[in-house]
Amino acid sequence: MDRFPNHRFLPYALVLPSITVIAIFLIYPFGQAIYQSFHRINPIRRQLVNVGWRNYLEMFRSPEYLYSFRNTFIFAVLVIGLGLIISLCIALLTTQNIRGSGFYQVAFVWTYAMSPIIAGVMWSLIFDPSIGLMTNLIGNLTGYWINFFNDTVAAFILVTVASIWVMLGYNIVFFIAGLQNVPYELKEAASIDGATTWQVFWVVTFPMLSPTVAFLVFVNTVYAFFQSFGLVDVVTMGGPNRSTEFLIYKIYKDGFGRMQEGQAAAQSVVLFIIIAIVGAVQIYTSTKSAVYDR
Amino acid sequence: MKNLSNRILLLSLVFVLVLAGVASAKVVEVEFWHSMTGSRLEVFKKVVAGFNEINPEQQILPVLVGTYEEGLARFLAAYPVKQEPGIIGVYEVGTQAMHDSGMIIPAYQIPGMLGQEWDFGQYIRPIVSYYSKDGNLWSWPFASSTAMIYYNADHLRQAGLDPDKPPTTWDEMHEYGLKLLEAGVVKNALSFGWPDWMLENQLALHDLEYANAGNGRLGYPTEVSWPNEFTDKLMTKWSEMAKDKVWIYGGAEYNANGAFQTGELTFLMQSTSSLDGILKTVGDKFEVRTTFLPRLNNDYPRGSSLIGGNSLYVSNQVSKEELEVIFEFFKYLSRTEVDVFWHQNTGYFPSTNAAVQALMNSGWFKDSPNHLTAFLQILSGKTDSDASAGMRMGVFAQAREWARDAIEKISRGEDQRAAMEYSAQQIKKLLEEYNEFIN
Repeated sequence: MDRFPNHRFLPYALVLPSITVIAIFLIYPFGQAIYQSFHRINPIRRQLVNVGWRNYLEMFRSPEYLYSFRNTFIFAVLVIGLGLIISLCIALLTTQNIRGSGFYQVAFVWTYAMSPIIAGVMWSLIFDPSIGLMTNLIGNLTGYWINFFNDTVAAFILVTVASIWVMLGYNIVFFIAGLQNVPYELKEAASIDGATTWQVFWVVTFPMLSPTVAFLVFVNTVYAFFQSFGLVDVVTMGGPNRSTEFLIYKIYKDGFGRMQEGQAAAQSVVLFIIIAIVGAVQIYTSTKSAVYDR
Repeated sequence: MKNLSNRILLLSLVFVLVLAGVASAKVVEVEFWHSMTGSRLEVFKKVVAGFNEINPEQQILPVLVGTYEEGLARFLAAYPVKQEPGIIGVYEVGTQAMHDSGMIIPAYQIPGMLGQEWDFGQYIRPIVSYYSKDGNLWSWPFASSTAMIYYNADHLRQAGLDPDKPPTTWDEMHEYGLKLLEAGVVKNALSFGWPDWMLENQLALHDLEYANAGNGRLGYPTEVSWPNEFTDKLMTKWSEMAKDKVWIYGGAEYNANGAFQTGELTFLMQSTSSLDGILKTVGDKFEVRTTFLPRLNNDYPRGSSLIGGNSLYVSNQVSKEELEVIFEFFKYLSRTEVDVFWHQNTGYFPSTNAAVQALMNSGWFKDSPNHLTAFLQILSGKTDSDASAGMRMGVFAQAREWARDAIEKISRGEDQRAAMEYSAQQIKKLLEEYNEFIN
């Protein structure tokens, strides 16, 4: 309090607006969700019936929820893992001393400017079972006709690939920035000392990139768990047979479509806990292992 | 001086604003939540604008609230906090939920509440019977459709088939499909939207109930009637057609339309509300024709295809002034010229007897026979049995989802009986919970 002599209440007054916004839009709805998660809500007559832990117990017994849970994790691992590997490779290639590297950088990055909805429409047209360009190409070449409207695996792969594609631009921008921050002298010194290109990458470049990687892993986790919604809604609406009904989409469907608000509230509380744990672990491990000093 | 002129300016501004406020206070505005999208949206906007021009003091404000599913969920959530609209267009799936909600004024009571009279006999019977409870109409007829077959007549000619004799049964559909594939005209012959609704239509078409308790019309149903002997036969047929690549699964809603419009499919089973969109997109590229839905065989009695689309509900929290506007709007919708315009530009049914007569007199059905198909199909069928009038279920939306779940599995070649049974069990659980809540 000594930092603001004679202004005892000023600091509080200054933070009040943001605290108010957070309280109204984050804390209050969150409390509401916890409260609802212990209730069954009759959508027709709006009665709340206290059911204790029943929503939670039934959730973990429900094959649909476990299926969604499993698929969400596979999806997240693929989006984060493959997405980061591919974008790192592309970033490495575009930062080489080649002609037109600036052009390539822009060409790979601009896709991030596209809204997930447009990207979703595009991908679903390319793979439309009857008129899709890729469907026809693959079908004519291999004899296998993809129909993501009823093929659960095809739908899952399509959504995963499209989600990775949408996020590529963002990841590449950060990787390029990270790579350009690696001092050239260090790499040069290493190669003079006889390190191979591979060794230079693993021993010099990659550790220096680790803060970027840590940041991107976190951003991509949030993306995979929450922001995949738009794409799923446009491409598959969670189908076929719920194969692309990821946790966040399931909450929406259960809450607003299937009119099971209590159950949806319980799911959102569980999803919050999952993300909190995953986030905490990521931040802990990455701050431990990332090299921040230059 | 400058200060003074500024002050005068401000004062006059305030004055104008106050005047405007006084003037607008007389205007009664009623929100109308709807789910009209695509080519229907423009037509819908014109219809509403037409009403708003008549009397500037009575205004309808259309608000697009997303899909039917989302619109209904929003209405139910908005009502307790008095944020709901005066009118909402609810899909046929929400009928039971709206009846049970206690949030609406049944349509038949509206004229009486305003001390007026209205002849409900002017509406087309199948629509009235679908939306009626105990013989009274509960929601205002608006955008009613049904399902039918659209087909590419050029494809049939190319395969040496007679376009004047489209398939009437599922066996014929299968046979035609195989011929089309053999002739190399298409890769897949048939697809459809709303597979869950198609199952409902097939049951009603054969006068079979979807759920117990008189198809949900005599009480609260406790389970669905399927799988049964009929669905066994039908689903076996569908899975054979999928295996032969005659039928390709076309997604949940309107995705298959694109393939039909580009000439990749010969047959499309879809809502009549797609008619004008399809006709406009196809243009002169090929000859679009329409016909009745196929039947399994004639061992089963004849029912009718089902009414779909949406009808209009009125919140019971509206003021008397608002109710007056709403009733004026409903009367406007029932005007012959408005009803005719709506039908001619969307493919939805004309809802009044007078509109049908006007259309007939003007030679519309002769010039555009595709607009007559669905109408004949529904008028020539039986709609006075519980089975053919349409089912009522509080958890209809989820039941549909489970039916679609089964059809998706069947289209992939999974065992039809097991798939249907699993879905039926899930619906049973949902019905139990709903009934527990209601009683």
